Amino acid sequence: MADRDLLDRAFHRVLLTFIERGSAPHYTELARDFGLAPEAGRTLLHDLMAAGIPAWLHPSTELIASFAPFNNLPTHYCVSVDGERKWYAQCGFEAAAMCWIFPGKTVVVEAPCLDCGEPLRLTMRDGEVLAAEPETMVGYVSLPPKEWAQDLAFA
Amino acid sequence: MNLFRSEEHARNWQGYQEGAAAGLQPLSAIAAIWGADRYRERLNGHYVSSARDYLPQVAEITARVTGGNPFWKR
Repeated sequence: MADRDLLDRAFHRVLLTFIERGSAPHYTELARDFGLAPEAGRTLLHDLMAAGIPAWLHPSTELIASFAPFNNLPTHYCVSVDGERKWYAQCGFEAAAMCWIFPGKTVVVEAPCLDCGEPLRLTMRDGEVLAAEPETMVGYVSLPPKEWAQDLAFA
Repeated sequence: MNLFRSEEHARNWQGYQEGAAAGLQPLSAIAAIWGADRYRERLNGHYVSSARDYLPQVAEITARVTGGNPFWKR
């Protein structure tokens, strides 16, 4: 297992890469950033994903599928920051945490309602809900939090 | 974990489970829980090392905004 300092730096690097380009880094990029051989970068990625964070790899690959609050595969939670649309939220609840990744900026989450397909639009900045359209918007999860870790992708 | 246009829409969704009705929360509760340090401190540079330290606060906020509902106990 990589030491905690390296895991901290790798975690930070993954988020910064998402912020910059809207997608996750490959483990070879992590390796290069930290002066490691590719195989050591691969091990670092696996250690990071096993560190108890809400993130997972795409099945049968070594590609980051999801890394909260981001998703590397498009979800129906499309995120725009100051008018630039290039990110996806891991889920509807993590969409509400996306504003902490972009401090001081206006973050807009747009999604279809899973019941009717009509649009939802959530605007936040620094934790404040600036607008919710419609104002009656709610969140729902069928799995209690103590069970989320057993199947993060389902939760 | 999804957002819906209203409580009625959430209850009408095919994935809604009556036995998990406590999983339905107003947007204000979702924003409060996902406003905890566990979520807001991700860019602090020592997040993995500190992650466990954030659990008591998010548990306290969750309990407060959900009325202590056992469904939300972490």
